[in-house]
Amino acid sequence: MNAVELLRLALSRLRRGRLRAALTMLGIVIGVASVVALVGVGRGTTANITASLNALGTNLLTISPSGRFGGTTTLTTGDATAIAGVDGVVAVAPEDQASAVVATSATNTTTTSIVGTSADYAYVRAYSVWQGTFLTTATTEGSLRVAVLGATVATDLGLGAEAVGSTVSINGLPFEVVGILQPKGGSGFADPDNEVLVPLGAVQKYFVGGDTLRTIGVSVADGADMQTTRDAITQLLRVRHGITATGTDDFTIFDQSQLLSVTDAISGTLTLLLGGIASIALVVGGIGIMNIMLVSVRERTREIGIRKALGARGRDILRQFLIEALTLSLIGGFVGVLVGLAVSAFIGRIAGWGFIFDPSTVVIATVFSMAVGIVFGVWPARQAARLDPVAALRYE
Amino acid sequence: MRLDAVTRTYDMGHVKVQALRGISMAVEEGEFVAIVGPSGSGKTTMMSILGCLDRPSTGTYQITGNDIGSLGDDALARIRSRTIGFVFQSYNLLPGTSAIENVATPLLYQGVSRRDRSNRAGAALERLGLGERLTHEPTELSGGEQQRVAIARALVTDPAVILADEPTGNLAVQQGLEVLQLFRDLHASGRTIVLITHNPDVAEVATRRIHLLDGRVVEEERAA
Repeated sequence: MNAVELLRLALSRLRRGRLRAALTMLGIVIGVASVVALVGVGRGTTANITASLNALGTNLLTISPSGRFGGTTTLTTGDATAIAGVDGVVAVAPEDQASAVVATSATNTTTTSIVGTSADYAYVRAYSVWQGTFLTTATTEGSLRVAVLGATVATDLGLGAEAVGSTVSINGLPFEVVGILQPKGGSGFADPDNEVLVPLGAVQKYFVGGDTLRTIGVSVADGADMQTTRDAITQLLRVRHGITATGTDDFTIFDQSQLLSVTDAISGTLTLLLGGIASIALVVGGIGIMNIMLVSVRERTREIGIRKALGARGRDILRQFLIEALTLSLIGGFVGVLVGLAVSAFIGRIAGWGFIFDPSTVVIATVFSMAVGIVFGVWPARQAARLDPVAALRYE
Repeated sequence: MRLDAVTRTYDMGHVKVQALRGISMAVEEGEFVAIVGPSGSGKTTMMSILGCLDRPSTGTYQITGNDIGSLGDDALARIRSRTIGFVFQSYNLLPGTSAIENVATPLLYQGVSRRDRSNRAGAALERLGLGERLTHEPTELSGGEQQRVAIARALVTDPAVILADEPTGNLAVQQGLEVLQLFRDLHASGRTIVLITHNPDVAEVATRRIHLLDGRVVEEERAA
């Protein structure tokens, strides 16, 4: 008997007991659907977090002084210039920051942070301009009083595209608006759109004083070089800051990609955990199949006896019952995949990360439901195959 | 078919039940033999052993030259498939399965292709006058029709031996007579038939009768 004959036999059998077959499959459907849905949700979350982190800037190293709370800020504009010369560095954005009141009139004001930086900032921090232009080398080197508004600031002040070229006052000083940024959206941390960018020199001159920096953003050409570049910068800064071989760094370098890999690891584990919990449902579904198959073997003892009398070998009976269990679990698995994908698409839509279709989930779910069919079908099938034909024929 | 000092003992926990106590007999090709005896005489056990559903405890049973005692389960299944056609008292048709599929089932286990199966099963049912009933399920057929389906199923593989266990037991008199006439016709066309019954009147159709009592052959008679 070949597989096609067996499948035909199994399908006609399942057709005769549709309700029972459907109920038996339900366990597998729920199991597979929850695995597919939860893994889908896990992947959606991961993709979402990764996207937010990438929005902060790719291959980004952020250097900040470690003595910040001690009051001394050790990073200088000179450090930033020196770092630009390190191998593998594509862009350096020195940043200084002050809190200030931005106003278009006496009543229309907002408090935000004023970031003094260079033209590279847009590249390093992955901003793009919506209207007008970004800071240019000319405006930053001249420390001109120009400003690029973050999207939130522009909204708060009720400024649209026509505001480019107009003047806003920052802590009472007039600045010309040269551009407005595209919103980046929330990253889970501070709102990256709630800031005003001005030339570094302007911030230092009008709001902070001195040439120390709050942070230096460094963009590395190749993600694979993050560690070497980081080491080179550490070495450079230690020398520049006159730190002896045994001294501790007076700055810290934060690597965006490390956060990314940690996040990936955490959400990967979470996905695995969710999938693992869901697969308990799959096992329960498998036990449901085994239960029904055992009942079926008992009910069909006489049929088995007849088949044996008609020349069926033990393995013909074994295969017949195994294929039946397998058909149940595969159909259940197929329906489960569809339900699971629908659920994860639905959740993705609500959560706003869209629908991520991963073919490997489908493959894994199918393989799993097959395995469930075989594992939980084999015992009842063996029971059937081993029946003594004489006893089976006499069974009422 | 040749039985030589065959015994069969069932182990029922503490008690051992001897169903057959040393039976020696032979059935030649083309014979129509009835095995007759009251219930408890070992008829059913005889049927199981003759039909290769069971093996003798001691003694030897040979069918078409094969010694059953030395064969494995798969080999027995093969002999059942190739050489024996069963007809049971309770018809034993597969439930929820049409007449033609029932008749085709033995061919399925011989590995016959789907089309050949349905041709041969259809032809077998035609021969037994059931050409109109091919797609009926057992519950839609009368007892006599069901037994004819069962006989068609036994014949479809063209087996060396037809083994009938009380084939008329569940039938009305008229239908029973028809079935017996069928066996007579089959014998006339050269089939080997072993008929097992408790009813001496039924056994009358056979050319040779073997009487069993308490697991032994007590009498053998040939029809005149």
